Amino acid sequence: MVQNRNKLIELFIGNISNAIVHEILERAVGAELVTDKYRKELALSFEIAGRYREKINPVNRSLPDKDVDYIKEKIMARVKSELITRISKGYDNIDLELIESLTDKALKDVKIIDSTVSV
Amino acid sequence: MDQIYIPKNRVGFDIGNYVTIRILKEGDVEEPTEKLCFYGIKRLEPIKLEIIRDVFEVIDKYIDNYKNIIITGSFLEKGFRFNDVDIIIVAVGNVKSERISENIGNKIGVNGHIIVLSGNELAIGLETDPLYRMMLSKCVAKKRFFYKTRQTINYKLLDLHLLKSKTFIDNFDILRGKEKYDFVRNMISIYLFLNGNDVTVEVVNKEIKKTFGIEIGKIKDNILDKKSFIKKYKLIYDKSFALILKGIEHGSK
Repeated sequence: MVQNRNKLIELFIGNISNAIVHEILERAVGAELVTDKYRKELALSFEIAGRYREKINPVNRSLPDKDVDYIKEKIMARVKSELITRISKGYDNIDLELIESLTDKALKDVKIIDSTVSV
Repeated sequence: MDQIYIPKNRVGFDIGNYVTIRILKEGDVEEPTEKLCFYGIKRLEPIKLEIIRDVFEVIDKYIDNYKNIIITGSFLEKGFRFNDVDIIIVAVGNVKSERISENIGNKIGVNGHIIVLSGNELAIGLETDPLYRMMLSKCVAKKRFFYKTRQTINYKLLDLHLLKSKTFIDNFDILRGKEKYDFVRNMISIYLFLNGNDVTVEVVNKEIKKTFGIEIGKIKDNILDKKSFIKKYKLIYDKSFALILKGIEHGSK
């Protein structure tokens, strides 16, 4: 199925956001989570995001600043919204400070941001 | 023609096989093969039993202080639609799972997907994680173990597990059939668990068929009506998430 670039970017954002929410919640749960080894085999959001990334040009180098700013801003907003939903219900130990650093790391890992540049 | 009756799951024999019966002489009897423990399995193809024994043999060469070895997953389903053999090694300490997996691959020609758990991790998994309950409701173990432990609902853990099925709708077009089945199965097992139901492979598959009105094979073959499937999926996902949030709000893990 041919998908346009904007649609691919949105799908990419959705998956990366989910992966970051997962990572922050995993840290919040901490020691209670000891047995997730089986579910690791599910096609994880980060891996699926990678499939979309491979279709977003330029594939082998970082995206233009305009795209990077848009993607980063949207991921951070989505992740924050998901986490706030939980915090408002009394979920404790969620560290919102992690959002930006994990977003930067994820974007570097999939070459949306040049990994040699410090953000 | 005479017929002989033997117990089910006997290595090397299948129903309808032709055999020769002769009187045993001294020295004919070989060492008896080790008995396996079956959970939720009525019948297994003889070739699979041989594979399981081969797997145990390989693991025995590498570890001697394990508590149990458990075979589970699609390998135990009827037929031969499996890509690998899921193996849980219950042990403490450093287990060279990659090396063992490689040797299993060489011996049986199928990849061994190994998960190493301590006895405590296995017990907690069975108590709090519907997917573990489901996987271990149908398994073959080297030693007997208790898989029917009590169910404890930890809403934060279930939230984390359910989150993995969240992007199913957006990713519908890119997911393969097997992946779709995994996402659906994960969500349904959590939904059943939240509602206090026992979670077994049969129960989960039955619920999937009932909810989506479709055979499991069609999901795995990726033959789905997108609009109607997604509508039903979203309904269950939202219901499950609402239950989880309510649970977190009430602070009752």
